[in-house]
Amino acid sequence: MLVLFCPHCQEKREEEEFGYGGEAFRIRPASPDTADDDTWADYLFMRTNPKGWNWELWSHATGCRKFFVVKRNTATNSIAGSWTLSDGRKVYDAEGGSQ
Amino acid sequence: MLEHVSRSPLHAFGLPLQATAINDTRGVWANELPSLGYVSLRGDSKDRTFVEKVTHSLGVALPTSPCTYAGTDGAKVLWISPDEWLIVSQRDRIGSLAADLKAALQGVRSQVADNSGGYTQVLLRGRNALDVLQHTTVYDFAALEPGRVVGTTFGKSSVYAHRSGEGFCLVMRRSFADYIWRYLVRAAAPYGLGIAVVETTGHAALVVA
Repeated sequence: MLVLFCPHCQEKREEEEFGYGGEAFRIRPASPDTADDDTWADYLFMRTNPKGWNWELWSHATGCRKFFVVKRNTATNSIAGSWTLSDGRKVYDAEGGSQ
Repeated sequence: MLEHVSRSPLHAFGLPLQATAINDTRGVWANELPSLGYVSLRGDSKDRTFVEKVTHSLGVALPTSPCTYAGTDGAKVLWISPDEWLIVSQRDRIGSLAADLKAALQGVRSQVADNSGGYTQVLLRGRNALDVLQHTTVYDFAALEPGRVVGTTFGKSSVYAHRSGEGFCLVMRRSFADYIWRYLVRAAAPYGLGIAVVETTGHAALVVA
């Protein structure tokens, strides 16, 4: 069971309060109408699925109902931190994206 | 034409008829606070104009710290998220409260919605009230400080909960009230559940004998 820190509620809460939102900071093709099938299929179906550090979206489903980002190690389940989407983006960019 | 009748979500359980004054024979005492008024307020807590206008209209500082609530004589303001609050008041006062808020927030990016039909509250107290909450939610209610309100799980549903006097107050959605009450009755069975008399004047509370 994970214990996640919600950056909006400013409290650590049990995993059961949260919903998993998948990989964070994925980039949607700028113009889906003209994107070729491979690009669009990549966006829809393909995930990085790393063994190691992963940036994830979580929603605090039973609390503030807001999304935030968590950097979690998929191999060890250790957590580097949680941020609001805008704060998390800065940290993510500073690290040079997903590593 | 049928007469319009407003019924509480827990009407079917006939709680008012079973209510007795609190005594030592039961470990948990509970009852519903039916037919209160609820207003959902949305707006940006970082917008000073918004916070000032709401504070002025309600007569109580809008709680902007996470997981806190504020109360006046007539209304209680629960922090739900950084841009959402739930205002609880007597049902007959909620219309004017919402109208005043809407008037005060003219031209400010915000939303005031009367959600009175959408929620209800259950008060819980007694020597085993904490035990019951620990059976039903994942939050550590022993560590919950007075003045704080948390949204957490309740069985497979969710509630907003805060301390109320010596007990706890659970704010729940109408559609889950039936499930939550049945869950509560089941969880409280080992300790003995009593249906308490609800004081409806002023600050609602369960009456001690």
